[in-house]
Amino acid sequence: MFINYEHENHVYNVTVKRRQNQYFIMYDNTEYTVEAEELTPGHLKIKLGDRVIKCVITEGEKDKLVFVAGDVFKVKNVELTGTKTTKKKKEEGDLSSPISGRVVNVKVKKGDKVKKGDILLVIEAMKMEYLIRAPYNGKVEKVNFKEKDLIEIGEITVELTKK
Amino acid sequence: MFKKVLIANRGEIAVRIIKACQEMGIKTVAVYSDVDACAPHVHLADETVNLGDPTPSESYLNIQKIIEAAKSTGAEAIHPGYGFLAENPDLSQACIDTGITFIGPKPKVIKLMGDKIEAKKIMEKAGVPVIPGYHGTKQDNSSLIKEGKKIGFPLLVKAAAGGGGKGMRIVHSEDSLEEAIEGAKRESKSAFGDDTVFLEKYLDKPRHIEFQILADEQGNTIHLFERECSIQRRHQKIIEETPSPVMNPQLRNKMGKAAVAAAQAAGYSNAGTIEFMLDGKLNFYFMEMNTRLQVEHPITEMTTGIDLAKWQLRIASGQALTLKQKDLTQRGHAIECRIYAEDPLNGFLPSVGDLKKVEAPIGPNIRNDTGIETGMEITPYYDPMLAKLVVSSENRAESIDKMIWALSHYVILGVTTNISFLKKVLEHKEFRKGNITTHFIDNYFKEWMVAKRKLPIDAIISLAVYDSIHSKREEVVRYKEADPHSPWKHVGRWRMGAGI
Repeated sequence: MFINYEHENHVYNVTVKRRQNQYFIMYDNTEYTVEAEELTPGHLKIKLGDRVIKCVITEGEKDKLVFVAGDVFKVKNVELTGTKTTKKKKEEGDLSSPISGRVVNVKVKKGDKVKKGDILLVIEAMKMEYLIRAPYNGKVEKVNFKEKDLIEIGEITVELTKK
Repeated sequence: MFKKVLIANRGEIAVRIIKACQEMGIKTVAVYSDVDACAPHVHLADETVNLGDPTPSESYLNIQKIIEAAKSTGAEAIHPGYGFLAENPDLSQACIDTGITFIGPKPKVIKLMGDKIEAKKIMEKAGVPVIPGYHGTKQDNSSLIKEGKKIGFPLLVKAAAGGGGKGMRIVHSEDSLEEAIEGAKRESKSAFGDDTVFLEKYLDKPRHIEFQILADEQGNTIHLFERECSIQRRHQKIIEETPSPVMNPQLRNKMGKAAVAAAQAAGYSNAGTIEFMLDGKLNFYFMEMNTRLQVEHPITEMTTGIDLAKWQLRIASGQALTLKQKDLTQRGHAIECRIYAEDPLNGFLPSVGDLKKVEAPIGPNIRNDTGIETGMEITPYYDPMLAKLVVSSENRAESIDKMIWALSHYVILGVTTNISFLKKVLEHKEFRKGNITTHFIDNYFKEWMVAKRKLPIDAIISLAVYDSIHSKREEVVRYKEADPHSPWKHVGRWRMGAGI
C-alpha cells in the first residue's frame, strides 16, 4: 500500500508491503525490511537488522501521534494527489494570538500610530504574560479585544496598516 | 497525630500529600474545581469537596470555600501544598481563627518571608549575606528607575510577593527599565494580588543553590543539604539535582549553617527552603525563603531517605524532630525533571488538550510524581506542569544516563511536552561536566528552540507498520472476533496468517 504522511508541512511518500510478520518499507529509494509485532494496542516492537524500534501510536480524529524514543510526532495521513499540501506560512506581521488566554492590558486604540516593537496588547495564560508587539510601523485600524476578554489561539488581536 | 487532613491543592502535589497521609493512616479530603472532577487527586482521596468555578480565585485560591470544606468534613488540618495558597498568610490565619491546624509556618512568618524586602532586612541583621539591590518602599516608576541606575545594569526587577519566575524581568539597559517595571507589577498583581517590586544586582555566573530546612515547634532546626536548581527557563526551574556539582564539604557546611541561621532568624517552623545565589567565585547570597514544601523536594528525599511530607504532618501535629544534624547523610545523586505541557518548538507556549495516552517509565530508583492520567483533559486554567520525574543513582553520571533512559520511555500523547527538550539539556556536554549557571538555557539553547525537526526514519517505519496492521482489511477481521476478551486479540493480527 502507498501512504503519504504529512509532518510539519513536509510530505513523506512511503510504500509498505507485508508478508506474515515481515514488512518491506520503501522510502526515499531505500527498502527497509523489518519484523514487527503489536504488543498491546498501539505499542509496536519493530526489529530492523540488529536494532529494535519501540513505538507507541494513537489515532486522533485527523492525525496520528507517534512516540519514538522520547520524541512525539504529530502526523497526518494525506490522500495521494501529487501536489503537496502546504499550510500558509506565518507572514511577517502576524498579529494573531499565540495562545488561548485572557487579555489583561490593551495598550493602543483605534487611530494610534505605532512603531515596530511597540506593545499592542498583553495576554495572560497559565499565569504567564505574552506580549503582542507591532511587527512594523503602522496605524491601528481596529482593536478586536478589550481588557478581561477571553482570546483564543489564532484570533487576530489588532488590525494594523503598514506605514 | 491528625485523623483527617484536607489538601488545598490539585495535581501531583495533592496526590503526593494524600499518599503520605494514607501511609500514616490519616483520612484525606480533596478539593477540586469543576474541570478537575475526574483528576487523580480526587479519585485517590477518601472524601471530596467540589469548589465549583475553575477560575483559581473561585476555587483553589478561595480561602472561604476551603475553610468551609474543612469544617464540613471535619478535617483537623489543612495542607496547602505549593503554589495557590501555600504562601498566603491569610489561609494560615483563617485556620487559626477557626481552630484548624495549618500545615506550615505561622502566618506572621509567612508574611515576613513573603515580603521579600522585609525578609532581606532580617537576614542582613542575622549576618546572612544578601544581594545588593533596592528593597525600598518608593514604588513609583521614577524612583524605581533612579534606584535601578544606582545599582547598574544588568539588573532584575522582581515581584516582592513573587516566586516561580512570575513577575520577574531582567533589564539590560535603562531604555527597557520602565516597561519591565510595569510588566512585573502587572504580572505580580494578577498572580499574587500585590504589585510591590524590588530591584537587585544581576550576578556573574550565578547558580541557584537552595537548602532544605526542617524546623519543629520546640525550636530544633536542621538542614537537609542543598539542591542545585540552576537549570531554569524564564526563571522557572526545569531540572534540579543534589548534590550540586560545584559543592565541596566546607562550602556545604558554611551554607548549611547560614540556612539554619536564616530559618531561626525568621522564627521558622515546619518544612521550608532557603534559596541562595552562588556566584562564579563561590560567594553566596540569600535570595529568599520559601515557606512551604518545594516542588523539587523529592530529590532530597531520594538521597537522604527522609520523607519531608510526613515530617510536615508530624511537626504540625506538635511532634519534635528526632533527626539530628550530625546523623544526616546524603547517599548517591538524584535528578528531577519537570515535565510541562508546553511546546519547545513553538516558543514554549502551553499546550492544552486531551491526554490520549500516558505511560510513565518504571524501573529501579525511578520516581514519578504525577497528577495526570490517560483520558484527562489539560486545561488552560492552571500551571502547565504535568509531572515530576525523579531518578537516583550512585553518582551524577549514572543519574544523567538513567534520566535520559526514563525520559525516552515516558509516553505522553495528546499534549506537546518539553520531554525532548529536557533530554537535549541532559545530553549537553557542558551539563554533563556540571558547568551550569542560571543562564545555561539562554547560552546553549536559543538556537535549538527554532530548529525544525524532520520526521526520523524510525517514525516513518513505525507508521508504515502500524497502518499496514490497521488497514481496513484488518478491521474486518478484528470485529469478527467472537470473544472480545480473548488473549489472542492482543497477540497481533498478522500471526493468524492474514497477510496482505
